[in-house]
Amino acid sequence: MFLALLLAFSAIDWVPVRWFSSDPSSLDLLQGSPINCLLLEERNWSPELVAKARGKGLTTLAVLRPGDGAVEKARGAGCDGLVLEGEFSPKPDLAGQLVIDLPYRSSIKLDSKAPVLGTYQGVWPGINIADKDVKAAPTGGPWIDTNAGFLRFLRAATDKTVWISNPPPEKGVIPAERYLMAIADAAMSGARWVLTLDADFQTRLLAREEKALAGWKKMNGLLAFVEAHKEWREFSFGGQMAVILDTASGALLCGGVLDMVVVKHTPVRPFPYAKVSAPSLAPSKMAVNVDPSALTGQQKEELKAYTRQGGTLLTGPPGWKFPPLKPGQITLGKEDTATLDTIWRELNAMTGRRNLGARLFNVSSMLSNLLVSKDGKRVLVHLVNYSNYPAESITVHVLGKWNRAVLEAPGAKPKEMAVYPVDDATGIDVDAVNSMATLIVE
Amino acid sequence: MTRRDFLAAVSSAVLVRGQEAPAPPVAIARCQSYDEDLAEIMGRMFDQLGGLGRLVKNKTVTVKLNLTGSPALKFMGRPLGVTHYSHPKMAGAMAFLLDRAGAKRVRFVESCANTAAPMEEFMLDSGWNVRQLKSAAPDIEFENTNALGLGKKYSRFKAPGGGTVFPAYDLNHSYEDTDVFVSMAKLKDHGTCGVTLSMKNCFGITPASIYGDDAGVAEPNENPGKGRVSTCHFGKRQPSKSAPGELDPDSSREPGYRMPHITTELCSLRPVDIALVDGIETMAGGEGPWIPGVRLAQPGVILAGFNPVTTDAAATAAMGYDPRAPRGTPPFDNCENTLLLAESLGLGSADLKRIEVRGERIEQVMYKFRT
Repeated sequence: MFLALLLAFSAIDWVPVRWFSSDPSSLDLLQGSPINCLLLEERNWSPELVAKARGKGLTTLAVLRPGDGAVEKARGAGCDGLVLEGEFSPKPDLAGQLVIDLPYRSSIKLDSKAPVLGTYQGVWPGINIADKDVKAAPTGGPWIDTNAGFLRFLRAATDKTVWISNPPPEKGVIPAERYLMAIADAAMSGARWVLTLDADFQTRLLAREEKALAGWKKMNGLLAFVEAHKEWREFSFGGQMAVILDTASGALLCGGVLDMVVVKHTPVRPFPYAKVSAPSLAPSKMAVNVDPSALTGQQKEELKAYTRQGGTLLTGPPGWKFPPLKPGQITLGKEDTATLDTIWRELNAMTGRRNLGARLFNVSSMLSNLLVSKDGKRVLVHLVNYSNYPAESITVHVLGKWNRAVLEAPGAKPKEMAVYPVDDATGIDVDAVNSMATLIVE
Repeated sequence: MTRRDFLAAVSSAVLVRGQEAPAPPVAIARCQSYDEDLAEIMGRMFDQLGGLGRLVKNKTVTVKLNLTGSPALKFMGRPLGVTHYSHPKMAGAMAFLLDRAGAKRVRFVESCANTAAPMEEFMLDSGWNVRQLKSAAPDIEFENTNALGLGKKYSRFKAPGGGTVFPAYDLNHSYEDTDVFVSMAKLKDHGTCGVTLSMKNCFGITPASIYGDDAGVAEPNENPGKGRVSTCHFGKRQPSKSAPGELDPDSSREPGYRMPHITTELCSLRPVDIALVDGIETMAGGEGPWIPGVRLAQPGVILAGFNPVTTDAAATAAMGYDPRAPRGTPPFDNCENTLLLAESLGLGSADLKRIEVRGERIEQVMYKFRT
């Protein structure tokens, strides 16, 4: 029990990977890697591997799935803890063990005592090329699949470490760039992607194939970059746009209002219902209340006070209530999307060209996140590229007058950037972003 | 005489036909990369044409760029300027040359796709370094002509000879408030018009506020968010009633008829004084990534002239096509030949035998867009 508690404290620093071999020598691939936590499938519960991992200071977690019937075997695998991946009903009795739940999104318990909150229902981030509009007309622009809205809600609702996972399709072959997107998509929202390589990549990596090693090196470089700046997780969401929503109003789904705002590069502060108060909303010039019927009387009063203080409030359609989440649901239903589209159009009209914290240009293949330090003296702008090519010639206008900007990126030295005044903001020009880069503005 | 009267007089004066159409020379230069000294190359080309100074000294010069489609649509992740947009370095070099030749003011314009936001923001979204471009000359302005923009009212331009599709067009003031008009185009195929060069570039001077799919019925929509497909390409709707409607709503609704005629009308009512066609890097098979089958192309050539028809004729030939090809033959497979329409209006000659080419010869730079 005591050991489990100790482990729970260190969980905040775990950088997880689903390890793909029972061969202890495979761990040599982790030489110099920031990865320090191995999720082991039953076939890899090898005492030798676990022992060698422990010797290297790595934490091991045995992965259990519903119906595996391997609870006792998992206990005996010698791992430091367990991961319950999926929907267990009933949950196995694992008293005294360190357990991390990765259930359906709809089953995430925000008040969980577990050290890590997460799900195995991540979406694979990337530009959605299935959308015919992307190529069919000169007016189209790409939609980016992302977990950003969901993760930002979790980060706003809880101070827990957040993991998100999605094992690749069984016979799927995923290019290294896609793994980088997944890692960066989670990292910019302060969460961690449970790195799970596809079978083809695993085989090639274990065979030390050159291209696989190069991809693996890039992934580790990106992870190292993120983990070298743990303090960034202490920064708060910045900007002057608040979105009020909760688990009952689609916060756990992809493609909702939060994602719509994120894709528009409008800095957004998610507000779970429990955190709605006029003072906390005050820095936001605009707020969107996705499902007004879900608020308590007191919360409604707080919103009234917010609008009396000058805040602009946009609400969901009158009489509309967000439908209950279905088990296993990841994205919005078509009807809900159509309903939210009304909010979206109004939101677009309301925000227009206003700078609500930062405006970014030439970022159609990217997503961003604006974060602010506790003292308000530093601002971070995470930039994540979802295309297979470097994103070039990006311009960022950070609201307010700032004197200095530094660009940090994986494998590169921090670069002092020129800043210049522009309207009510400070302009910064970024030449190129490969997978991820972060502007630190002071 | 007002500037508008002057434009109308000039436009009417060119209503001569066929063989009488002017055939001023065209300059052609090789240029393999945007990293070459574009100002030197383009400066030499304009010198071959007699110099820019006589046209632009102490004048306001408006440069219509070709920033077609949403900047979010990139082809193979490549910068827009090397596929289907004007390249920022070409614009910078042009601004520098115009300033050196004594231009009083240089104004870059485009009817930016789906927006009435400031042109500078559209350029930033297109990856342009606007601050750098501004430093190319002392007095550089930008205007998005997709709506009213910085003007107080639209300028009405009557089509010389009465027009074939529309009798007149309401355009952003920038197209009237200028002494010299430059069409800075890209060397490209066009899915509907065969080729898109300095003349077809002018199709984009129409504001979507009036000619857009979401234009107001009675008055312009000053916040347009769509293209011009319904109104211009297919004629499924009329422009805002504030502007003149079609001459004959029963005429052909076929884009292959309408777009070349509209293009020709626009070039006759807002004459192009300087035509510049960038064929350094571009795309073949269509005008943008939304056309199926487009591919990257590196013709490595720039063409310039003081007449859009002769310049486009030379450019069409440099693409491996016959500029006099009739409808039904490449590149005008399904459309009227805009060059011949323009020639018939007396805007310029499409007859290569009458066009003097200076610098490189067409055969030397030919890059076949269709193989």
